[in-house]
Amino acid sequence: MSFEKFKDRNVGEDGYYMVDIEDYPETGWGKFKQVASRSLKGELFVGLWVVLREMFKFDIHTVQYPKEKLPIGPRYRAVHKMLRLFESGTERCIGCGLCEKICISDCIRMDTKYDENSRKEVTEYSINLGRCIFCGYCAEVCPELAIVHGGRYENASEQRAHFVEFEDMLTPIDALKAGQQEEYPGFGAIIPGSDKSVKKTPLAY
Amino acid sequence: MSKMIQFTIDGRQVTAAKGESILQVARREEIYIPTMCYLAKTSPSASCRMCVVEAEGVDGFVLSCNTPPTEGIAITSDSQALYTERQNIMKMYNVNHPLQCGVCDKSGECDLQNKTLDFDLDDQSFAVADQRRESKVWGVLSYDPHLCIMCEKCTSVCNEVVGSEALFIRPGGYKSEIDNTFSKCIQCGECISVCPVGAMASTDFEYTSNVWELEKVPSACAHCSSACNLTYEKKHTSIATLGDEHIYRVTNEYDHDTLCGAGRFGYDYENRVTQKDEDAFAIAVSAFENADTIRFNSMISNEEALLLQRLKEQFGYRLINKEAKKYQEFMDAFTSVSGNSLYSADLETIRKSDYAITIGSAVSTDNPMVRFALSVAVNRRKAYMAYMHPIEDEMLRNLVTQYVKYEVGSEEGVLAMLCEMIVDEKAKESHKAFFDDLDLGYISGESNFGEEELELLKKKLVRRYDPVLIIGADLINHPNAVNIAKMAGMIEKHSAFSVMIIPPETNSLGVSLICDLDSEEGENTVGYNVAADFVLSALGDGDLDMPALSQQEGTLTNIDKRVVPMNAALAYHGYELNDIANALGVKSDHVIDYTAELPQERGFSTVRFDDLPNHYTNVGEEVRGYYLDVVETEASATVDVISDIREFNGSVIYRCDPLMQFNPFTDKAHQIIDEAFLSGSEQFAVAARIKDGERVRFTVGEDVYERVFKVDERLKGTVALNPSFDSSENYESYRYNQVKIERV
Repeated sequence: MSFEKFKDRNVGEDGYYMVDIEDYPETGWGKFKQVASRSLKGELFVGLWVVLREMFKFDIHTVQYPKEKLPIGPRYRAVHKMLRLFESGTERCIGCGLCEKICISDCIRMDTKYDENSRKEVTEYSINLGRCIFCGYCAEVCPELAIVHGGRYENASEQRAHFVEFEDMLTPIDALKAGQQEEYPGFGAIIPGSDKSVKKTPLAY
Repeated sequence: MSKMIQFTIDGRQVTAAKGESILQVARREEIYIPTMCYLAKTSPSASCRMCVVEAEGVDGFVLSCNTPPTEGIAITSDSQALYTERQNIMKMYNVNHPLQCGVCDKSGECDLQNKTLDFDLDDQSFAVADQRRESKVWGVLSYDPHLCIMCEKCTSVCNEVVGSEALFIRPGGYKSEIDNTFSKCIQCGECISVCPVGAMASTDFEYTSNVWELEKVPSACAHCSSACNLTYEKKHTSIATLGDEHIYRVTNEYDHDTLCGAGRFGYDYENRVTQKDEDAFAIAVSAFENADTIRFNSMISNEEALLLQRLKEQFGYRLINKEAKKYQEFMDAFTSVSGNSLYSADLETIRKSDYAITIGSAVSTDNPMVRFALSVAVNRRKAYMAYMHPIEDEMLRNLVTQYVKYEVGSEEGVLAMLCEMIVDEKAKESHKAFFDDLDLGYISGESNFGEEELELLKKKLVRRYDPVLIIGADLINHPNAVNIAKMAGMIEKHSAFSVMIIPPETNSLGVSLICDLDSEEGENTVGYNVAADFVLSALGDGDLDMPALSQQEGTLTNIDKRVVPMNAALAYHGYELNDIANALGVKSDHVIDYTAELPQERGFSTVRFDDLPNHYTNVGEEVRGYYLDVVETEASATVDVISDIREFNGSVIYRCDPLMQFNPFTDKAHQIIDEAFLSGSEQFAVAARIKDGERVRFTVGEDVYERVFKVDERLKGTVALNPSFDSSENYESYRYNQVKIERV
């Protein structure tokens, strides 16, 4: 292979053309003429008309947050949720402590004890959301699919502690009975409804 | 001289001493041979077959744990065939093993887990029909038979090292499981420590923490003079109390070392002090300025003992530690005849002995490590063990070959009879007056130590090469202790016997070497953990709080004559003795600065605290602190003729703590629960005309005791046991007392 093609720097011949750019006005009169012609042509109203037209159509695509929210992908990692077993309603967490161990910002802690049914019972569980970097390792390591990330990304409250109560993260028992607990689809799951939003790529090739 | 055997492991030239197994040599040479059932401190049970190796010219595999090498043999520790063999063994161990690693206490330090991963077993192709098995709780230990892999480590440690023979195997093929004769169990927790899986667990620790969350603080146990190596494992108390830590459990180097129940379960005696109490401190300093006497006990580190000695040198305080004083006098008298500043035996000498006599010590409760060492001697070396004591100890029944039950008060005579039997002709010449005066018939009659019993002892001594004599606190606190010590010195110097004089309290030996103790108290006293006009207390009940020994850095001098380091397991935020000394003008930044200044003329070394080692080698050699040097002096004194034996009639009580109890600190520990009862046999109850459960009052010296009387079926004879663990006072008086018992 020869390098001739690359070495040919005569680019002007391959369908290129020069853009017709007017010379900058040099005299005062010339500048005045340019300003006057641009102002009077009404180019400004071309853009304003687009906005006005869409406003009257009442077909606005803007999401009316916070009244309206976009569905969030299951892979999104917001405030944690604690799930229950569907059949018995007991907590899935067995207190194995792997989330506590794997947490790279060291924000998970738990207390466990030997309970009256000879099982390991989690008596206290907390996540310090002030430190949490939402990396998702805790959910990934959990052998029981007990701790998962929920979609609640609005972290505004008087106290950070409001988010870290085990009871707050745990699915309420009545919500479970009402069938409101959804199985975590796992890592790599697609955003709900994303089939519908698939469109043909608007490119000719 | 024993011949060394040359052979090769994996092509490497190695040398074995006589009696060493292939596995021991491999471990020494840091060649890895996996094992499941092997425990270095017991004899190999050879049940797991993981340790198999290939030997050149031998068909099949060889068990490395119990096979000694032959000259020139070539051993292969790892090959494809061995790997497959070991993989198959691990598959068998994994059959039906519950998949509950997620909650199992052992997860993270489990032999089964480690080796399953090590041998790349990620699936199990066979299983058997499972059985229903019941979990059991035996006091401090819980047993889950589902997790048990029947490696037999617990039973061998219980039989061989602890010597209580409580655990045994209930055979039944796949249904086999471990069972416990609970009446024999001394709750030492050795079985928990050696269990490679989660089958034997601590009832208290179970499910409270994952092992990897715990921070390990290596230290020394502060309950008795053995000052065993242990590791405190601590973590924050709870989510709710961040920054506030507590000890979750105590572990040790279980492969080589042993720990008793007090060490393993009596760890939470710390004194929680959150801030410095400046007012109390100012009062304390002025109390020291006004005082002329410091009373203390031997629950103290070498450094603080030296600090007290410095205070004495500077301000002329009188130092009162009655029990250490008595020990000091005993050791001085011993030295005056033996010529050595220290006794020669240590725990390893006892373990390796083939003939042991203990006299005047309730070893099971006084010093459990001596008992464990005796157990090893009896079980491994088939040692002849004579237990000389007025009270038969039911707990030692498996170990003792000959009980010699002498009369209370006749210790001097009994030891004199032993001298007659043991020492050589040279001694009989140099201590002529003593031997000339010796009237065996009289002593034998008064002490109830029959001449035929002495004959038996003598007969059994033939062809024993490593005899040891263990002397307990009954002799140290005896009214004629000085002459008894001289006799002990004579035995040390003029016989094959190694002598051990058990230090009665944690650091009696250290205090007796460091402090110049007084016997007369002054008028104004300050007490360190002892009752006085002004009390500094690590129990939290005094005028100024002090850190407990688990919260202090420092060293202890233990029964092995070794200076061992203690590290602070838990934080302490109050004042300590060093602060008071600084305020008084004896300056030092840290109390451990005194470690290097411990008196060299008494055998201490100038090693700094931070340079003290604290570990075990691969072959189990204990590398902790340093040994005291023995100072040799001229052996000039002679043994005096013995005095008449005093008779003890009526109700006699013996100062003796129950198992696992040593002092108020063990009493404070939440897992060791005992009430201080006066306990005696049925016979004692009849003689003293009291009944089980009655409240009685009696006077010992100046102390008036009011205790509930309990009949203990394991006890025999006419001596009752009066515990002293509920008092921090230390005692110099003879442990037996004739008392008048009245009902309240």
